[in-house]
Amino acid sequence: MKYLRGEFDLCTGCEACLLVCSNRAAGGYNPRLARLKVFRENENLINRPLVCTQCENPFCMHSCPVSAISRAEKTGVVLIDKEKCISCGSCIKACPDQMIRWDKDGKADKCDLCAGNPLCVQYCVPGALKLVKKREVPGK
Amino acid sequence: MNISEGMKKLLYIDLNRKASSELAVDPRLEENFVGGKGYGARILYDLLPAGCDPLAPENLLMFLAGPLTATLAPATRGCVVTKSPLTGTFADSYFGGHFAQEIRYCGYGGIIIAGRAEQPSYIWIDDGTVEIRPADQIWGLDTFATVEKIGRIAGSESVKTACIGPAGENMVSYALINCEYNRHAGRAGTGAVMGSKNLKAVVLRGSETVSPANPEAFMAAVDRAYAELADSEDVKNFNIDGTPASIDFANAEQLLPAYNYFDGSFEGAAGLNSEAQRRQFWLRNVACAGCPIACGKVGLIRRGRRKGLISDVVEYETAAMMGSNLGLSDVREVAYLVKKCDALGLDGMSAGGVAGFAIEAFQKGLITAAETEGKALQFGDSESVDYLLDLIASRRGLGDLLARGVKEAARELGDGAADFAVHIKGLESPAWGPRSVPGMALALATADRGGCHQRAFPILYEVGGEWDGKMVERSALEGKGIIVAHLQNYLAALDTLVKCDFAQYGITGETYCQMLEAALGRPFDTTRLMALGERIWNQVRLFNLREGFTRADDSLPKRFSEEPLPEGPYQGEKISGADLDRLLDDYYTARGWDSAGRPAGETLARLGLDQLTTLVRAPDIE
Repeated sequence: MKYLRGEFDLCTGCEACLLVCSNRAAGGYNPRLARLKVFRENENLINRPLVCTQCENPFCMHSCPVSAISRAEKTGVVLIDKEKCISCGSCIKACPDQMIRWDKDGKADKCDLCAGNPLCVQYCVPGALKLVKKREVPGK
Repeated sequence: MNISEGMKKLLYIDLNRKASSELAVDPRLEENFVGGKGYGARILYDLLPAGCDPLAPENLLMFLAGPLTATLAPATRGCVVTKSPLTGTFADSYFGGHFAQEIRYCGYGGIIIAGRAEQPSYIWIDDGTVEIRPADQIWGLDTFATVEKIGRIAGSESVKTACIGPAGENMVSYALINCEYNRHAGRAGTGAVMGSKNLKAVVLRGSETVSPANPEAFMAAVDRAYAELADSEDVKNFNIDGTPASIDFANAEQLLPAYNYFDGSFEGAAGLNSEAQRRQFWLRNVACAGCPIACGKVGLIRRGRRKGLISDVVEYETAAMMGSNLGLSDVREVAYLVKKCDALGLDGMSAGGVAGFAIEAFQKGLITAAETEGKALQFGDSESVDYLLDLIASRRGLGDLLARGVKEAARELGDGAADFAVHIKGLESPAWGPRSVPGMALALATADRGGCHQRAFPILYEVGGEWDGKMVERSALEGKGIIVAHLQNYLAALDTLVKCDFAQYGITGETYCQMLEAALGRPFDTTRLMALGERIWNQVRLFNLREGFTRADDSLPKRFSEEPLPEGPYQGEKISGADLDRLLDDYYTARGWDSAGRPAGETLARLGLDQLTTLVRAPDIE
């Protein structure tokens, strides 16, 4: 099982990750429409990437009233079934990192790790975004 | 939104009427001028009344993007175009960061601002909503505080802001526009124009997408550009050492200004270079939107009285103009002064030029202690500079004179002050002393906005490069005209996209064309690119000629033409008036201009500039 990790010490704030992600998620470039975020802090001394880590205990999944969110057994990725989504916004409220957004059809939308080869990682020249192995959690 | 469609939509804001309107772009403007510098050149020519006072409400302040801005095309920017209060010429000043991208995400190719607000105001653009709001809460604040406060007012850190500092509010002729953080439309006084409009800031938030016409071809071209950047040694150097790597190069080649350009090398250069900066404060690389080069290097000063100060890389230009040019060799002091310029909203390059001029004037007795509250102005003394920056930004006392730039200050002081006022067309010279490189001297003399190294940089050819398969001889006058004209055309074309100066060291013209072709969905090749650049260069020349500029203004300061380099390997080198005349003759011929520097009829016809009647008209705003 793999998940995304963002490193503030390597991130340059170029937001190429947001551009490629938004293009895939929203059909055009705009960092605001990406499925990850990059924050700027302290006169831009720090750029901090914030990514969906496919939580061990996904609040979004638990809070969905119609079970539209599930974890893919093989990859561990937390996915939204757009057919089932009723656009209630429960998952959006539940995620404290605001990693779920509305798509252009008004459905909940989140990082799906690009089917295993995330574009954001591919275009992260400074290597601040990594796809790393998740530690096994005892009892899970 | 499709890129081509977006570039055809400009937002026109009239501060006199407190109203705005969309300006639909004539397709011929988009076809012939593409965006960025091209748009600015034509719009200024069409809309500005001839002889317009740059600080009058009639002047236009434009924030312009290009067709590659806001896409995955690596390293793109935006530009501010206006008539400069410092030079009286066309002025284009380029900025990185994320502001230009947000213009495109708001759905526009650019924003044109006319008029003057009755009271201090800022513009708030939230997708389709345009509001002109009172700036009571931010007027008077420095640029850092302004950005922070606006974030709080907007309730969002993610809005993008362009703002002026106190220097812009006070219309200092070389005030800049800050495009958060550490990114500026720095040169030629764009911030003064903004201040003259009573406009403190433009704040943007957009949710529109930007889509190339042919996404697959676009990605292929982008990937090629990424690969070219990764393969480039120059780009690698920008990534590792940033622009201050040039300190060592310029020092060795005697191109580095020292003591108001008295010399071309500086004994304290090692205190300013990349190594010194890395040791004193760098922590990590910083990039503008979509840029894999990341020439920025931000950090915290680790030791000494400036300990804890956050600073981005002290760029080559400011390290030289605020450092070696003022005899300062401790980069921590220079970082402090440059950041102070940023906060006050002063162009650090011009401010360094002005401070150097003021210190020399003091040494020569043209400025006395009576005008400096008893303070002695000295080279090598950061307190002197600190003091001057406060005076200038507030226009207090002597500051009011110095706020007008070295050209005007020298005129006022008289008594030979013009002899050491180092400017071209009023723009304080950049940090490339040209006495031993005639091509660079020509480039500075003919740059459209005055003394500027970014319109052509022939030094790279003159210090051992080839042109047309032949080694370029450094000291030769012959053959430099064609090089300068070619570089000016090429870079003017790329300034429509809008390119970054450093990316073009890696990305080839062919690849830029492929990205543009896929972005716009119409054929584009390097032949068209070069014609585009030449068209724009001539369009700007027509503007400057209309404003009264002549061959006599394509000049060099006396320090470069009459005072030879005093020592070192290039001792004795200068570019005399006769040299410059030969260079200009050569250059005008290469351009198809007459001996007075006016584009010949056939040149204009070849570029399609003879038939383009007014392309841009201001919209009717009720």
